[in-house]
Amino acid sequence: MATDIQISIVGSAGDGTIAAGEILRNALAGMGYKVISFDIYPPEIRGFGKCIARMRITTEQAYSLKHKSDVLVSLDDSHAIPHADEVRDCGAVIYEQGSIVRLPEGGHMSAHVGPGQLPYPLPIRELSEKSTSANRSRNIVVLGFIAGLFGLPAEGFRKAIARKFRNKAAALEASEAAFQAGLDYAARTFKLDDVAFGPPVSTVVAGATVEMINGNAAIARGALDAGIDTFFGYPITPATSIMERLAAEMPRRGARLLQTEDEISAISAVIGAGFAGARAATSTSGPGLSLMAEMIGMGVIGEVPAVLFVSQRGGPSTGMPTKTEQSDLHMAVYGGHGDAPRIVIAPTNVDGCYRCAGKAFEMAEAYQTPVIVLIDLYLSNRYETVVFPARPPFEADVNRKPGKLAAGAQYKRYALTADHVSPRAIPGDKGNMHVVTGLEHNELGRPSDSAESHTAMSRKRHEKLKLALDHPDLTKFKRFGDEGAVDVGLLSWGSSFGECLEAMFKARAEGIRCAAMKVVMLSPFPTAAVAAFMADCGEVLVPELNYQGQFANLLQAHVAKPVTRLDRVSGEPMKVEEILEEIRRLAGRKAAQKAA
Amino acid sequence: MTAKRKDARHHVVIGSGVAGSQAAETLRSREPDARVTILTLSSLLFYNRYDLPKVFRGHRDWREFLAYPADYYRDHRIEVRRCSRVAGVDGNRRTIALEHKEEIRFDTLLVASGGRGYVPEELAEFRPLMHPFSSYTEAVVAAGVVPERGHVIMLGGDMIGLDLARTLIDTRHRVTLVAGPQTFWPHEVDDDERPALIAALEKMGVEVIEGADAGGIASIEQGARGLSARRLLFHDGTELYGDAVMPFFGLSPSVEFMLGSGVDIERGLLVNPALRTTGEGIWAAGDVCQIWSDADKRYRFFYGWKNVRAMGDLAARNIAGDDAPWVPAQDEKLHIAGDGRIQSPFWEYE
Repeated sequence: MATDIQISIVGSAGDGTIAAGEILRNALAGMGYKVISFDIYPPEIRGFGKCIARMRITTEQAYSLKHKSDVLVSLDDSHAIPHADEVRDCGAVIYEQGSIVRLPEGGHMSAHVGPGQLPYPLPIRELSEKSTSANRSRNIVVLGFIAGLFGLPAEGFRKAIARKFRNKAAALEASEAAFQAGLDYAARTFKLDDVAFGPPVSTVVAGATVEMINGNAAIARGALDAGIDTFFGYPITPATSIMERLAAEMPRRGARLLQTEDEISAISAVIGAGFAGARAATSTSGPGLSLMAEMIGMGVIGEVPAVLFVSQRGGPSTGMPTKTEQSDLHMAVYGGHGDAPRIVIAPTNVDGCYRCAGKAFEMAEAYQTPVIVLIDLYLSNRYETVVFPARPPFEADVNRKPGKLAAGAQYKRYALTADHVSPRAIPGDKGNMHVVTGLEHNELGRPSDSAESHTAMSRKRHEKLKLALDHPDLTKFKRFGDEGAVDVGLLSWGSSFGECLEAMFKARAEGIRCAAMKVVMLSPFPTAAVAAFMADCGEVLVPELNYQGQFANLLQAHVAKPVTRLDRVSGEPMKVEEILEEIRRLAGRKAAQKAA
Repeated sequence: MTAKRKDARHHVVIGSGVAGSQAAETLRSREPDARVTILTLSSLLFYNRYDLPKVFRGHRDWREFLAYPADYYRDHRIEVRRCSRVAGVDGNRRTIALEHKEEIRFDTLLVASGGRGYVPEELAEFRPLMHPFSSYTEAVVAAGVVPERGHVIMLGGDMIGLDLARTLIDTRHRVTLVAGPQTFWPHEVDDDERPALIAALEKMGVEVIEGADAGGIASIEQGARGLSARRLLFHDGTELYGDAVMPFFGLSPSVEFMLGSGVDIERGLLVNPALRTTGEGIWAAGDVCQIWSDADKRYRFFYGWKNVRAMGDLAARNIAGDDAPWVPAQDEKLHIAGDGRIQSPFWEYE
């Protein structure tokens, strides 16, 4: 029996909602299920805003969260009630049966459980207090109930709890007791919903490891596996955990990480380290990327390898730090002064975060330029079960080294070559003395503002990037769905692609000829492949999470065919049903055109 | 919750059984703009209790028992608050306090909370060892403990139990009835009719032990290893083993939450022939109410699916403005059919 179950836990900051989600997904991933998970939390630390831990558990590969959940757990009815109608018919709604304060009419979850849903009122607080003498383990009580109600192995949960509280003996003891209380209560509960877990299906190849990991952690791991030497960064939501992960791991590997005083210092240090031959990176979000814009230009003109991990959030300015958006694409591709081309790649899932992070170092080194890995909060915080290969799939050193100079010859740092990439000497290489500045230069690197130099160097900086379109072992774009001519084609990028793919599969199941293409490489743009795809499509739909349709704008700059935009700025991931609805509408329009 | 219209009345129905569900439907049709809310302890939407014996024929999916699909409630804009226990009713303030500390205001209230299985005081301590049969979950649990061709010991033998006995016999189970004063409840059976009716039961295949002869039940115990799950001990020292002991002593009206509401209560809620209680804006219907009978000059209960449904409909019509009196909707006489089997009008439903 295939498993495809989505569980949402909703509570208030301080309820342990996110912690419960973490334990649950780790337990389920440990049992062998595939899990996609995304947490939503408020900017406040405790006591105010809404927290949601939402996860989809499957045996087959899934690409996004579902429109409807199978199970909703309320740790705080005031926050969970608006989500009650997100539960499908015959799904379960688990909530606190009592209240310690008087409630206004409609203030209890029981008023909002739909006629098709199955209510499970539990004495969550009472079970926590009886088992631990405190109400702080309500979240763990619920996990025990979930394990019992759905017949999941308790041992898997106990392991995940032990891992979560490995350094907190008292919390571990209380959590074990609370878990057991929930489990015991489930044993006395009559199961009415039709949510059923089938056995997990293991698809792991020998030597590979499976981990439950989020986008930021995957980025960090990709950087580590690619042999990152130095990292300079300044914390900012939602990118901070990249730096935190690296801070914990890099010193153990003899690498160095420094938290700088701001983003300008961070990117400056990265450019400096890149110049010195180190694999160097920084991480930031939209506001930080703005501050880094000038030094990206420095990296471009100096042809210095640099890697920037940018996780987008709702903007502009401080905007919505804990909400997702894909609105820094213009900034990533075009941001800065002068003609400053750079490589921008946008992974579409957590596995892609790992691969793009590692490949970014290769490309920065191979094409001697800044590389931006563009993700967003949804991908930063999204957990997926990822299979890591036994050996990291990244090349350790792809720098084009200068050959032996002919007697009397002078090393040309910016030598004009057939593929526009110059041999790069590292400071200290004997005999290859050269200068790198922010000034336009000639082949030797000496300042030159002649028309010839600027024209040649501008061409060199742009043309060499096209090599990235053929960079080995990196998916730059990929088509899914029906082959050949289709009625509707979806073009998508970044975190939204999973929802597009799900919508495309559903549309095909409805008999609509449909295909989807993900575009990972945004700069340089894979124009030929995208144009060929668009030529196959009767209608082209471009869903994305920004108001301007930034990817559609980029697309239209390269391919003239009109597209239909589906732009959303809700701060939440794209909804599969919404995309599907648009596909249906476009397919209907196409059918009407054919009939006419 | 259904969106409220500012001037629309809020009709609350306590109970989602036959009477309550019928009342909600009638109220919706009579007052399209009104807000109609059903409060129920059940986890499930309205299902037909009369269908429950089907669990012994292998029907265990609750969806098969529902009277209406979920869309019915959406389409009819009937809110159903399940797992909601009423703690009290304030007739003056027209508010209902739910046990989870939520307060609901009503314009009219219909109490149709039905009855729960009654167990005589002397057997109350053995409740944990019995398998009641008054809800879907209880039915499924009971069916789960009785093996194929298993032995069910029925205590009391009201008509709900005897209806189940028909199915059990039909499905090749063994049924032993420990008969007593509640046998054939709610039918009122004269002493001279009883032997023939007991004989008819035996003809059906039920093994009958007249409680008085056995000296009454001394205890119910967990069966010993290798024996059936339950051991019934009688005062005279005899014993009986079975896979389940099921109590069928009739129903006791669920009215505790109405104490202090301002409504007169005897065993059930006392209502006039229009099913109006003594509390302003409060009506009652079904197994929970005692209706004044001019003919009998007393308050009395009326049972049976048809009666209960008719009460729900009548109460709703009167809430909506009619003033019609109660007229029983079915015969209450227990018969022995031509083939010698018992035939009760209380077993009939649509």
